Amino acid sequence: MPHFLASHNISAAQIHNDYQRRLQDAQQQEQQNAQNAAQNGGDAEDSEDDPVEQKKRKRKEEKTLMKIKQSKEFKKRKFEQQQDLGSDFEQDDDELARSMLKKSQPLPGQLENCEICGKRFTVTPYSKTGPDGGLLCTKCSKELKDEEKKESRDNKKKTAAPRGRRRQTESDRLMGDVKPGAKSLVDICVRRVANVVHDIEEFGDMPQSLLDRLSQILSKERVLTPRVLELFLRPDVDRIDIYDCAKLEEEDFQKIFAHMPDVEFVNLRFAGQMKDGPLLYMADKCKRVRHLQLGATNLVTDKAWADMFQKLGPQLESLKLSELNDSLGDDIVKVLVKSCRGLRRLKLRSCSHMGEDSVDALCSLTNLEHLTLAVAQQETSSATLVKLISSLGHNLRTLCLEEYVELNDSVLEAIKESCHKLTKLRIRGSVICSDAAFASLFDNNLGNPPLIYADLSDNRDIDSMNPDGPEDNPIGLGSGALKALMTHSGSRLERLNLKACRHISHAGLMEVFDGVKQYPALKDIDLSFVTQVDDVVMNGIFKTCPALAKLAVFACFNARQARIPAGIAVVGLPNAQDSVVIGEW
Amino acid sequence: MAVSGTPSPSPFVTLVSSDGFEFHVRRSAACVSATIRRMLDLQSNFSEAQTGICHLENISGIVLEKVVEYFYFNEKYRNSEGVPDMDIPSELCLELLMAADYLIT
Repeated sequence: MPHFLASHNISAAQIHNDYQRRLQDAQQQEQQNAQNAAQNGGDAEDSEDDPVEQKKRKRKEEKTLMKIKQSKEFKKRKFEQQQDLGSDFEQDDDELARSMLKKSQPLPGQLENCEICGKRFTVTPYSKTGPDGGLLCTKCSKELKDEEKKESRDNKKKTAAPRGRRRQTESDRLMGDVKPGAKSLVDICVRRVANVVHDIEEFGDMPQSLLDRLSQILSKERVLTPRVLELFLRPDVDRIDIYDCAKLEEEDFQKIFAHMPDVEFVNLRFAGQMKDGPLLYMADKCKRVRHLQLGATNLVTDKAWADMFQKLGPQLESLKLSELNDSLGDDIVKVLVKSCRGLRRLKLRSCSHMGEDSVDALCSLTNLEHLTLAVAQQETSSATLVKLISSLGHNLRTLCLEEYVELNDSVLEAIKESCHKLTKLRIRGSVICSDAAFASLFDNNLGNPPLIYADLSDNRDIDSMNPDGPEDNPIGLGSGALKALMTHSGSRLERLNLKACRHISHAGLMEVFDGVKQYPALKDIDLSFVTQVDDVVMNGIFKTCPALAKLAVFACFNARQARIPAGIAVVGLPNAQDSVVIGEW
Repeated sequence: MAVSGTPSPSPFVTLVSSDGFEFHVRRSAACVSATIRRMLDLQSNFSEAQTGICHLENISGIVLEKVVEYFYFNEKYRNSEGVPDMDIPSELCLELLMAADYLIT
């Protein structure tokens, strides 16, 4: 080795000498710098000697000061200093800049002593600045960098958790859950069970209410597979509720009815792969079915429906069918009406083959207490609806008529005359009913009881040439009707939906929600697209409805700044994240 | 206590699991559970109310420990917003669910 080094003109002595020389150079340089500084000071004193030179130097200094003042580092330090000393302490910019100038750093390539360990090192562009503004050697720079990294990682960890949480909080808000404090243990556990459902062998003797909740969560997450379905099949339980059957196939439906011969409540939605076989098997084997709800069962033929109605019809107490686009025409509805004489609850929604004849046929189901119809909208005349209501009205406790464009004042009049037991009313999407007719529906001449649920959404004029509607006889649910409704039902009303009833005036809203009247039971209000809603109205609502839990104000662009009392979920504000200030009054 | 005449109940209650584990829990925390609250209601004249000891025969010690953890978790976050969910080991969650349902928690 020494030979190799010698052959390349490298010797230890020379290296040592070089090192010593560099050290001396450095010391000399430092001394010289110090002397220069002293001389500069001296220069300043005998400034008369060379005014031009001095001016130049001064200009140069000002320039650098300006540069420093504009630099990020300067702003950062100023901010820190202000924080240390309190914001009202006025820091002299010049002083700070000058102090930084003193420490102004050597350029890359020069030598410098490390601020922390004191070792001499070559400055590179990567050299870090130490806590007092001096430069650090490579090793200390690295340590500082590592430390910073660690710190930022810790910070990230701290902020990441609430961010994920915020998503959950917003999701809960949309569901109307903003109660402070932890969720109930049952709720936490149900969610946890739903998360690990694939590892669970069986639910054991879980209570029905929890099974239902689990089914809801699993359906929402769309993980209700045939494997998960088996957890819900229990011969000792009398009901099956599956809200999303999209992943179940024909034999799975068969299995449900084979495992649960005593089932009384059947509720299968999005059951797209349910066919004639399972439906007729149910009609044959499950002799106790009393409540049947099926959604989107489009592979079931008319013949199977008719057979099923004939077999199970007499015992059915409630029947809810929805989203049927290929079957259930007028003929089958007539079979339904003939067979299911004991029906007390009937809901038919989006069954596209049902016509006006079907609505007419339903008039003879006089035992009905709850009726929801959202079918055959186009051709159903108001005369048929009036006939329906006058035949069934005296028993009805629930009446929902959705999207009947022909529904007019005479139908509202019929409701008023016939339905003396109503507690839930939904009239949605009428475009010709007048404000006066709605007001008269609730004027209470006939002693109708107060409503608990009122959904009168989408009742407005839709003439785009005349957005405010006719002046002499206002169309849609307006201020007059709102006032009449709240006077009539305010004492018991729990849910109120006035979405898109855009003719309600600001004065009308203020009169109803004046902050003095009290609607003690009102929990849930939807005023979306009622454009007159603003902060004042919202405050009025908060004061008028002590039990309020949820308020929807989508597209109410005047409502922005209202202070929202704790425990009320307000959804639909334009800047959802910022303005939701939840505080006490 | 002695001054007021009527003995006010101890601020702690004892919960006993089916396998004999005892947990001394603050009364205010344990009363998160409606079931325990009714057990301890002084007007009810249950023996639990008089002794301050609740025997929970259908809950094992390992589950009851988690329940007690929740009692304090709930009390800690009683008035705060955006509370994180308590961590529950998956092997316990079914049993804990049944216990929570029984305790109405």
